Amino acid sequence: MLHLVLFLIFGAICVAGAVNLLVQRHPINSALSLVAVMASLAVEYLLLGAEFVAAVQVIVYAGAIMVLFVFVIMLLNAGEEARTGGSRVAILFGIPGMLAGSLLVAWVLITHSGTQEVSAGALPGPPREIANLLFHDFLLPFEVTSVLVLIAIMGAVVLAARPESIEQQKREG
Amino acid sequence: MSLAFQASQALPRGTDYLRILPELVLSIFGMIIMVLDPVVDQRRNQKALGTLALIGSLAAIASTLWQARAPGLAFWNMVQVDTFSVFFHFLITTITAVVILTSYEYMEVQQIRVGEYYALILFGAVGMCLMSSAVELVLIFIALEISSISTYILAGFRRRAAISSEASIKYFLLGSFATAFFLYGVALMFGATGSTSIPTIEQHLRSGSIPVLAYVAIALMFVGLGFKVAAAPFHVWTPDVYEGAPAPIVGFMSTAPKAAVFAVLLRIMFQIHAPGRLGLIWVAAALSMTLGNIGALVQQNVKRLLAYSSIAHAGYLLVAFAALPQNGIPSAMFYTASYAAMNIGAFAVVSHFGGAGERYVTLEDYSGLGRRSPVLAAALTLFLLSLIGIPITAGFFAKFYVFSAALQANLVGLVIIGVINSAVAAYYYLRVIVVVYMHDPRDESVLPAVPLELGAALAITALTTIYLGLLPGRVLDYASRSAGDLLH
Amino acid sequence: MTPDLHLWLIPVLPLIGAAINGFVGRRLTRQAIVTVAIAFCGASFAMALYVALRFSGLAIPHLETLAPWIRAGSFQADFAFYVDQLSLVMLLVVTGVGLLIHIYSIGYMWEEGGFYRFFCYLNLFMFFMLTLVLASNYLLMFIGWEGVGLASYLLIGFWFTKDSAASAGKKAFIVNRIGDFGFLIALFLMIKHFGTLNFDRVFQFAASMSVENATAGLLTAIGLLLMVGAAGKSAQIPLYVWLPDAMEGPTPVSALIHAATMVTAGVYMIARSHVIFERAPTALMVVAIIGTLTALFAATIGIAQTDIKKVLAYSTISQLGYMFLACGVAAFSAGIFHLMTHAFFKGLLFLAAGSVIHAVGGEQDMRKMGGLWRKIPWTWATMLIATCAIAGIPGLSGFFSKDEILWRAYQASWAYWLVGVVTAFLTSFYMFRLMYMTFAGEYRGVTSDHSIVQEQAPARSRPSAAQAHHGIHESPRVMLIPLAILAFLSIVGGWIGVPGSLGGSNRFDRFLGPVFRATAPAVKPQHAAPGETAPPEQTTEGLESHTGRGTELAFTGISVFAALLGLYLARLLYLRRPALPERIAAALNGLYAAVANKYYVDELYATLFVHPVVEGSKHILWHGMDQGVIDATLDNSADATRHVSDSLRHMQSGNLRSYAGWVAAGAAVVIAYMVWTGTR
Repeated sequence: MLHLVLFLIFGAICVAGAVNLLVQRHPINSALSLVAVMASLAVEYLLLGAEFVAAVQVIVYAGAIMVLFVFVIMLLNAGEEARTGGSRVAILFGIPGMLAGSLLVAWVLITHSGTQEVSAGALPGPPREIANLLFHDFLLPFEVTSVLVLIAIMGAVVLAARPESIEQQKREG
Repeated sequence: MSLAFQASQALPRGTDYLRILPELVLSIFGMIIMVLDPVVDQRRNQKALGTLALIGSLAAIASTLWQARAPGLAFWNMVQVDTFSVFFHFLITTITAVVILTSYEYMEVQQIRVGEYYALILFGAVGMCLMSSAVELVLIFIALEISSISTYILAGFRRRAAISSEASIKYFLLGSFATAFFLYGVALMFGATGSTSIPTIEQHLRSGSIPVLAYVAIALMFVGLGFKVAAAPFHVWTPDVYEGAPAPIVGFMSTAPKAAVFAVLLRIMFQIHAPGRLGLIWVAAALSMTLGNIGALVQQNVKRLLAYSSIAHAGYLLVAFAALPQNGIPSAMFYTASYAAMNIGAFAVVSHFGGAGERYVTLEDYSGLGRRSPVLAAALTLFLLSLIGIPITAGFFAKFYVFSAALQANLVGLVIIGVINSAVAAYYYLRVIVVVYMHDPRDESVLPAVPLELGAALAITALTTIYLGLLPGRVLDYASRSAGDLLH
Repeated sequence: MTPDLHLWLIPVLPLIGAAINGFVGRRLTRQAIVTVAIAFCGASFAMALYVALRFSGLAIPHLETLAPWIRAGSFQADFAFYVDQLSLVMLLVVTGVGLLIHIYSIGYMWEEGGFYRFFCYLNLFMFFMLTLVLASNYLLMFIGWEGVGLASYLLIGFWFTKDSAASAGKKAFIVNRIGDFGFLIALFLMIKHFGTLNFDRVFQFAASMSVENATAGLLTAIGLLLMVGAAGKSAQIPLYVWLPDAMEGPTPVSALIHAATMVTAGVYMIARSHVIFERAPTALMVVAIIGTLTALFAATIGIAQTDIKKVLAYSTISQLGYMFLACGVAAFSAGIFHLMTHAFFKGLLFLAAGSVIHAVGGEQDMRKMGGLWRKIPWTWATMLIATCAIAGIPGLSGFFSKDEILWRAYQASWAYWLVGVVTAFLTSFYMFRLMYMTFAGEYRGVTSDHSIVQEQAPARSRPSAAQAHHGIHESPRVMLIPLAILAFLSIVGGWIGVPGSLGGSNRFDRFLGPVFRATAPAVKPQHAAPGETAPPEQTTEGLESHTGRGTELAFTGISVFAALLGLYLARLLYLRRPALPERIAAALNGLYAAVANKYYVDELYATLFVHPVVEGSKHILWHGMDQGVIDATLDNSADATRHVSDSLRHMQSGNLRSYAGWVAAGAAVVIAYMVWTGTR
């Protein structure tokens, strides 16, 4: 019972943080909201019995990645976003559609989920089992993820670089 | 996902690596290009990296053919090599090779640094190949992300054109939005069946009553995949992105990732026996065909026109998904291959004719192309005729099989919608042909000669278009066998 | 062991000719181009003659497989050719008339630009047409079917500098596509239910099925869909609108494609599929009704046209209506008979009209002609023969074939016959009107100032320039010889099918008999014995026993009277009292306007189909979504280069949200649908 109450509370924090992330105008505020989201997610994992994942979540996301985020924002000295007009389509169809879709899925999950409840700890939580999954059964997806990360880095390099033409290169060289 | 620890085999064996050989080859060549990029003097030798990429894709084709002799599962039931996966591997790697051929001249004319470009194409191909052989939803998701992210970046490669960056960002944001749907679908499928492995899901869904959650999971996955193939109502991004992206890349991303996504869709729809498939596909196909064709009618920009046309073709292709598996799968596979040949060809012409900064992309620019460059015009006409679906071109048989398959499943309404759409479509393709041949050229300046590599690409696509239109038997036969492999 | 006739050479020879002219024609001299085109077309004709000579020694139907084509699962279609009496007749007509028109074109097109292109397309057309005729399965036939459409599109748009020609080509193509898809769906139905498209297998299946009653069944559906296809290609109601516009093409093209061969493909296809139609009375009735209505409808429009080629175009539509009427009353051999004679006299009419146009320097308006018979006597004489033939003057080819159709139509229903006779009268009237307006009286054209003519038809400027030097002149011999041959055929072509009542033995009907009679369904049980001739397709001799020779002769008399009445009226109105037509037109103001404007059908179609689609696309998709949302933001951002952050901010200015909105809304619908199916 306590688990459930805690779960709901942190779930609410998580959603509120996500919404706040979107409505904040200053990037720093958005980044801090993201920290809240990440942290409350970690608690959710913990409540579900996935201690290792929870720890990793805190260390990697809430810790390392968010620090980088904030650093970058500071370095770029990004100011407040300029707000632009909304979209009629989004207001008339998009947001109601999104809400309706989420509610439908939630309704199905509550009424027709068809799966049994799993007590905490029944799913693989300890590092040993995760390691088994990650480096054995899911070895290929794990390794392939490296390609994904690689192209993401390349993308950042390509898109962030100033458009430099060959002519310019010639001039410099 | 099997939770029990399988002690039988601790490390991957040699055959495991053989079964991902094309992916390995592509990745290695991609990395070599990245490493060499700073070393090679691009001022003098733009082509060196491209040639390396070409060799890589050819090696991938060769390894696909080699791999075909040893079908089976690998990496603990993660990937499965069979005729189905070989078909798509071959298609995707060939598309990659042809697109690299069309890029040579383009990159030089546009004065774009090539380094990451070719590497990204190869890495993207890795993801697409994996998608066609993966039988595990988690792996499919990661492969899908690889293919998507590489295309997002490639779409923004015309750095000096604002619309290119715009296309890239738009595609990235909307694409991520759509992928989230897919991922959520995978999660719900896991919730509904307790597994992310396609064969296990299939068994689970077949054994008992189908949980409602599985329906929702299919819906969410379809949203994500439908976005990637530009099926209505998830097609809205297509015209903008196609207009902004570099022309050879449009040829690439309108064929290779789509082929891969269609392979995934075939697995999900037919191998899993997706519940509720029929109505979903019916509406999406009808909408895509109609919106695509009607949208194309008034386009003045050739790239936009072809974008709408690609929406319509996604619709025709989806018709096959509503058919019975034994007809639907081969006809969808044949359509994918035909569409790849004719569309890459068309975009190869567009990329050559566009000139520096892609200045010449409107319909008026094409006037009199027949007189200015008979070869280019003839090739374009062939591809457009094939897109219309005229006999002795690939497009005819592609449509023929798809509609025939649909009719065998008694989908009369859908076939009629498709048929009316094909008639409407003839109008805008013909408009291009009329402009090319029957209008006076706006300026008589001499077009740059078609370079060897582009000529080769045009020859390959044109010959494939005609080959599939004249002798579709062999490919179709292979596709039918693949369907058998997929269903058992 | 049946001999191998190398049938594949018949279509492939013209293809080689097309390839040579297409690839290297630009560098060849005109003589060389002509030699290539004529040689390959001629060789094809020679092959057809050879087949005809060997015909009696063949097992009919004679099947030759060139190569396997598609073998996917149980479905199989080969590159195979099929010769029986029906395809032999078509083969001879297509190659023979085709060759004559090729020869004629040498003279007609000599001065034109793109000479090699013209002959390349012409040969290409021959290839597809012969494929269509010789195909042994519906799929190969369909390839030829689409191919002739493509060639026709290329040839109509040949003078592409004229906007009207380009749009006429497009119109022909698109209207044909609509018909083609009816055909295609019919093929799908055959694949689904018969598992094959090969003629022999399909007909076997169909023959084993019983005659369907008024409630539609499978064969009726297939038959109706085939009719949709035929209506597109053969310009029947409601898909006839493209043919008059197709007259924008060079006249030899009109003669070959839009009179003698391609447009009759629909008739051929229906006759070929007779096994299906015989068992689908509803479909057959639709064929008959559409044919009858088209015959009458087009004939009335023909009366008020002033463009010489447009008159002939409507006349073609009307005559094709006759052929469909014949098929519709299960008189397939009569339909094919008329197809053949029509190929002769209508081909001749077009070629002669071309000769007239050539003579007066590109002018096509009959109001600006007149009195030409003295100046171009050969053209006049041959055209007169053709006119008599089409009008049904006794003794000429058209008389016999039309009479046969009317007689058979009467046996089905007197209404068909009545409309047929009225149409015959109208045909005679507008054809002689054409003759009188063109050849009789005084020349009404401009004799000195040819610049006007040149402006109206810029592409034909060179013949008219030539004409400016020589005045009105007879065409060169290379054009007149085909005219003479066709005139000869227009006279004697009918003599092979003289019906019994007129003392003939109708050899044509008996020749085609094996094709149509062997498979006809048994209506009465006592006729059901295998191998016996079944009743619906009875010989004329057989019918005489029911109605008698006298009745048939009386009906022949009535149709001859109708033809003569038309002749008389035309003479009265356009020779004796030229002012009268104007007065009549003025008196019947509204009606005349409707007829002269082709009953406003083009306008109707434009309002009903073309505008809604194009305008809808423009307003809703283009202005609404594309331009309003996308382009508006694009224009704001088009200046100079931008960096990622810039475009990112720009991206958030509305449209991206709209896109995401669409995706989200679509996703909601998809989820809702799936939840609904799941919980149902």
